[in-house]
Amino acid sequence: MTGLVGRRLLTVPFVLLGAALLIFLLPRLAGVDTVRAVLRSRTAEAEPDPAVAARVTAELGLDRSWVEQFLRWLGHALRGDLGTSFATRTPIAPQLGAALEVSAVLSALALLVAAVVGIPLGVRAARRRGGLADRVVTAISVVGVAVPEFVLAPVLVLLLAIAVPLLPATGWGTPAQAVLPVLTLACFPVALAAQLTRAETLDALARPHVTVALAKGLGPSRLVWRHGARLALTGVTALSGMFFAGLLGGAVVVEVAFGIPGLGRLLYDSVIGQDLPMLQAGLLAVVAVAVVAGIGAEAVALALDPVARSEAEG
Amino acid sequence: MRRDPVLVTCAVVVAVLLVAAFLPLDAVSTNLAERFAGPSPAHPLGTDNLGRDVLARLVVGTRLSVWFTLVAVVVCAAIGTLVGLLAGYAGGAVGQLLQRVLDVLVAIPTIIVGLVVAAVREPGLGTLAIAVLLTGWTPFARLAYQLTVRERAREYVEGAVALGAGAGRIALVHILPNAIRPLTAHACLRFANVLLSLAGLSFLGLGAQPPTPEWGAMLAEGRQFLFAAPQLVVLPGAAVVVAALVVTLLGRRLDARWSGR
Repeated sequence: MTGLVGRRLLTVPFVLLGAALLIFLLPRLAGVDTVRAVLRSRTAEAEPDPAVAARVTAELGLDRSWVEQFLRWLGHALRGDLGTSFATRTPIAPQLGAALEVSAVLSALALLVAAVVGIPLGVRAARRRGGLADRVVTAISVVGVAVPEFVLAPVLVLLLAIAVPLLPATGWGTPAQAVLPVLTLACFPVALAAQLTRAETLDALARPHVTVALAKGLGPSRLVWRHGARLALTGVTALSGMFFAGLLGGAVVVEVAFGIPGLGRLLYDSVIGQDLPMLQAGLLAVVAVAVVAGIGAEAVALALDPVARSEAEG
Repeated sequence: MRRDPVLVTCAVVVAVLLVAAFLPLDAVSTNLAERFAGPSPAHPLGTDNLGRDVLARLVVGTRLSVWFTLVAVVVCAAIGTLVGLLAGYAGGAVGQLLQRVLDVLVAIPTIIVGLVVAAVREPGLGTLAIAVLLTGWTPFARLAYQLTVRERAREYVEGAVALGAGAGRIALVHILPNAIRPLTAHACLRFANVLLSLAGLSFLGLGAQPPTPEWGAMLAEGRQFLFAAPQLVVLPGAAVVVAALVVTLLGRRLDARWSGR
């Protein structure tokens, strides 16, 4: 198992290099005038002064070939220097690091809620197909997927910060400030986890070894948890890409709605402020996190499922 | 069909939403004397911060929120189905490659792609369309691939091959009709996802621009008045959730009916 994960880790530099090239070329592919973008983010003038434009071009090294520019950017990035923000004119790396930390805490808490609430709901629903618990859980999960973060966030603020002033409506830093954002972000993964766990557990319970366990007199609770849920979890972790996409997209909305200085907010601000180096650094971070998360999910799936493990080794 | 009230109700609601979009209502003219008005015969759901009729804006917002989504989903379904069908029929290395590529692409959220597209273009409806098309075809490709691989092993395909039919004819004339029902059900399920992504991008200010009535943009505008006029957030929010829910329920019913699950 460590061998397989190790081989996957070896591919990471190549994936990142490819992604870095794409991200670097992005503004060029789209024909963005970088000099104008810089000037627009610093001044309100519509037509830049040619002398200023020439100076900024030289300052950013835009008069060299794109290969040279890419290698320079990459070399600096490898040394931890992600450049300087067009908008704030301060180094990007420390800002990106702080934002990553905030988003990591936010997503980890949301994922924890999803695991603690969503998975047991799914398993409970699968115990008796079509029963009351199944119908309730299915209804919750259908509604949960249909309620987007940008609706849930203001509604929760309305209920728990304005109507009943229990919690702060915005900000980040204290545990109380984390409650509403985490609940908002957790809604989709909870619903998804419940749906997937239910479907996978039902599948698992239909397998012959479960029938044998039932025939041997195993109680329904032990049956569903020991035999159903364990197999089901492998199926759920295999679909981790869906959770990742949901959390990442949701984080942008949640961080903007609650004023949280995380990675989603950083990406959003850099788009609104036409801050290209910041956007490129943020996207690179997103790709790196996605690749690592993908490998992590695969490792968890392998650890849970001996059959997949032996197939992967062989 | 007649014995399934949920299916009928959902289908009727979707039809009403699609037709209501073309009602000739005035959703943009402002009236500052009547800001934040409560419900009245003239304005059944009251007015917003500029004195515009909220009901008219919600109804006209259907054009962007529901029709735009519908067109986007149909185009995504067509592209994804074609890719999945061809790769599934080709099989082997092509199929494996497609699956690996899709594994990566499904992990990229539409919101992030929308941000990137908005950065290199301008925010607006074109940006929305590009972001949705870039990400929306992948689930259809995955499903069409799986269905094609399953159908290809059936005897009627073998029969068609024996009769001398070409690959394109078999894929489009023989396999596609047998895959169209699960794909249609899947389109309903994807509809909700695309609707929420589009409204989310508009909420972030990257899609529909004011004063265009669009549910996500309305919600973003209303959020500034959350304390004074919570209905300006709750009403468009409810519209988004109801539309997403109704189409999801429709998709689940069709899926259960047609996939034989």
